[in-house]
Amino acid sequence: MTTVDGPVLPKLIGERVKRREDPRLIQGQATYVDDIKLPGMLHLAFKRSDIAHGVIRSIDTSAAAAMEGVELVITGAELAETLGPMPIGTPFPAPDHYSVATDKVRYVGEPVAVVVAEDRYLARDAADAIEVEYDELPAVVDPEAAMEAGSATLHEGFERNIAVESYWGGTGVNPETAQPEDDSAVDAAFAEADVVVSQRMLNQRLAPNAMEPRGVVAQYEPGREYLTVWSATQNPHILRTLVAAMMGLGEHQVRAVAPEVGGGFGCKINIYGEEYVAAALSRMVKAPVKWIEDRTEAFLTTTHGRDLLGYIDLAAKNDGTILGLKARIIADIGAYEVLLTAMIPTLTGLMMNGVYRLPVVRHELTEVFTNKTPTDAYRGAGRPEGLYFLERAVDMLARELDMDPAELRRKNFIPTDEFPFATQGGLIYDSGNYEPCLDKALDVAGWQEMLAERDAARAEGRIVGVGLSFYVEVCGLGPSAVVPTGGWEHSGVTVERGGKVTATTGASPHGQGNETTFAQMLADHFSIPLEDITILHGDTSVVKQGIGTFGSRSQAVGGAALISAAGKAGDKMKQFAAALLSEHEVAPEDLVFEDGRIQVAGAPEVSKTFAEVADFAYIPVPLPPGMEPGLSEESFFEPENNTYPFGCHISMVEVDRETGEPKLVKMVAVDDCGNVINPLIVDGQVHGGLAQGIGQAMFEEVVYDEDGQPVTASFMDYVMPRAADLPTFELDNTVTPTPVNPLGAKGVGEAGTIGSTPCVVNAAVDALAPFGVTHIEMPLRPERLWRLIQENGGQS
Amino acid sequence: MEIKGEYEFQGPRALLYELLLDPDVLASALPGVERFEEVAPDAYESTMRVGIASVRGTYTGRVTVLEQNPPESYRLQIEGSGKPGGVKADAFVELTEAGTGTTMHYRAEVKARGTIARLGGRLLGGVARLLIGQFFKAIERQVDDRAA
Repeated sequence: MTTVDGPVLPKLIGERVKRREDPRLIQGQATYVDDIKLPGMLHLAFKRSDIAHGVIRSIDTSAAAAMEGVELVITGAELAETLGPMPIGTPFPAPDHYSVATDKVRYVGEPVAVVVAEDRYLARDAADAIEVEYDELPAVVDPEAAMEAGSATLHEGFERNIAVESYWGGTGVNPETAQPEDDSAVDAAFAEADVVVSQRMLNQRLAPNAMEPRGVVAQYEPGREYLTVWSATQNPHILRTLVAAMMGLGEHQVRAVAPEVGGGFGCKINIYGEEYVAAALSRMVKAPVKWIEDRTEAFLTTTHGRDLLGYIDLAAKNDGTILGLKARIIADIGAYEVLLTAMIPTLTGLMMNGVYRLPVVRHELTEVFTNKTPTDAYRGAGRPEGLYFLERAVDMLARELDMDPAELRRKNFIPTDEFPFATQGGLIYDSGNYEPCLDKALDVAGWQEMLAERDAARAEGRIVGVGLSFYVEVCGLGPSAVVPTGGWEHSGVTVERGGKVTATTGASPHGQGNETTFAQMLADHFSIPLEDITILHGDTSVVKQGIGTFGSRSQAVGGAALISAAGKAGDKMKQFAAALLSEHEVAPEDLVFEDGRIQVAGAPEVSKTFAEVADFAYIPVPLPPGMEPGLSEESFFEPENNTYPFGCHISMVEVDRETGEPKLVKMVAVDDCGNVINPLIVDGQVHGGLAQGIGQAMFEEVVYDEDGQPVTASFMDYVMPRAADLPTFELDNTVTPTPVNPLGAKGVGEAGTIGSTPCVVNAAVDALAPFGVTHIEMPLRPERLWRLIQENGGQS
Repeated sequence: MEIKGEYEFQGPRALLYELLLDPDVLASALPGVERFEEVAPDAYESTMRVGIASVRGTYTGRVTVLEQNPPESYRLQIEGSGKPGGVKADAFVELTEAGTGTTMHYRAEVKARGTIARLGGRLLGGVARLLIGQFFKAIERQVDDRAA
């Protein structure tokens, strides 16, 4: 009989554990950047361009500088003496981009001067008092017109505003020249096709709109020659590296802290001019400085997402067999390349293989500068664009062939026994099992019933459509060969005196719930209560190393590093335990963690408590031969490959015949992200992702007028999805573990955003198909739908 | 964006034409004018205070009168800027006789920048209509005064 006291600890992996971080976040007990107040802190405000394109003729700072309480007013040209051009993280050629414009402005919102003042309001008033005169230049707004000879150009050395041109396809690409070695197979495939669908589609520009805008506090301590930067960032370690480089400091002189961060969605990966300026000005004025972005600045200056124009051709046989894909993509990247700008659209073509056997592809990409806010990652970052183009085209093909969209997809799926699967773009899909996921989605949604319901509604004169999409995406971003910042993640695990555990992760969360999922993993690993575990993150002086949180990599890469470090700490702990149990002649490998004890497997009477062993590790008398005291281990984990989660989304849309207003009445998502640590958190990620993907399909769009003036720079004009716009989501999943990390977890942060957008548009097109509609551009504005109905005389 | 409309005045066309281009009349009729000076023939500089929502502020601007075709039509080029941004407008004004009165038809192409532009056509259009309405009421009073 066992004699162990106390309850048996339940296993937590796979359980719907509530997020431990939420109580403080929703009760105002968390510290965000704007909550940081330092003695003597000054405040920054930026004078920003209100024209899209022009040469700075003069800047008069005298009125601002004369205001009482203004410490410093500095122009871009003056700042450039201490701050060089900003670094980027891609290998593509890029024009110089200064934190504050030096001679020319290229988008509305670009900073031209900075004020340092005693309080935020004064700083803003002083910035307003700066007079800037420009020689206005024609604004470049349309990316296709931008490439024409005779268009105004933004940057010297970038003819026709072209930043990046790439090409691949056919049977192979010569990596040296990036030219196809033999492209004739594409033309041949299209020549033998029974049917080709072709469509120009816009994946429109979006504003990420994290609930917390950006913000930074910088404190340079001259006596210590040490800089501390607090910032609302997704990746404090990258911030540290880049700020140190810009400031001429070593990484040993810089501490970067991401306190609580209220959402990132990719727009807080980039390290922004304001962060460098805050650091430089803190050193200049010898005081800590703070800048907090307001919502208008967020619309104007935080990186935008998407904005890809696609010319898509898909060739197939009459039986639905897909023969080939051609994609010509034009990315409107805005005025500058920031950290990952030029890389994001390259993911679009890579992921346009989708879940299908594609015998041949031809992919052309042109990235174009325009007088708009620079683009960078936004939830999904290149993949939603590619999957939107592909899944729209596949849906058009189904309509053309009068095939069920589910069955057309099934027919072209990559078979399960062909994984790992090499795509035309050179990716290796780690694992996949698409048919069960499709079947489950059809079952959960009741696909046949939905079709019958649609037809019955149509018979009543209502406008109803059903849509389906099947996506695959790339997650768990790594290894280092493909991630410019390094593709590993770091974790530290310390078993403290008393048997409590502190762990650190470089995967700096901003809504992902790592404090819960990582604690669940450690609780199971050590068989201790969740409450005995603290997960620390976001501070480079606490978390020794890290890359950050993007590309759905927290669990697949960060979680793997955590479990590796926990393994090392656990192994050492078992050695201490074996020493304590030496009278029983116990080998460490015979020991297991069970219910707060370390015991011989199957013999709980031969055991020590977790706390006893932890205490012994710090006061090891006698110290076991060959051992160091303490229980603190760390691990770097570098995955051998990315992961490729997938899923099937199904929706139903009804359109009001009189007003054109679309209503999403059903949304089903069956996602496969491999093994799941916490289904509640996965559901939460999918919910948020669906809302954002539906937001793109139905509501959101950044609009510029012909002069490059943004006309959607407030929530009055930029429509965010709201709870009332969304149906109750119906979620389910299948589980296809990845072999590339020990957890078998693939990542889920972006999944919802990727599948839902084409799914909802497919449903809207299906609704209007009786009116002869084959494609609708996003967002699904009522006006747009109403016109499509009217063009057909209102008759279906 | 385009702003257009028409307004019925109780007065002869020639009088309207004269009033609408009289600097003293304009100075008193335009809402919030703090300064209105003729700086060259048919060119005026003005300082105006607008007190409406997010476009609140003091604007300085220049108005040039072109293509005068009395008493039927003229064109205005307007450029103004202030803290909340700037506007450029190209306006065409036409006066037609309507019985004993006069109908004024106006059509302006307006380009905005800064906060004014960002707040979108909805607000800008509303503010413009409000200010134009105030202006017409003031002109109407001038017409009545002259008639009296």
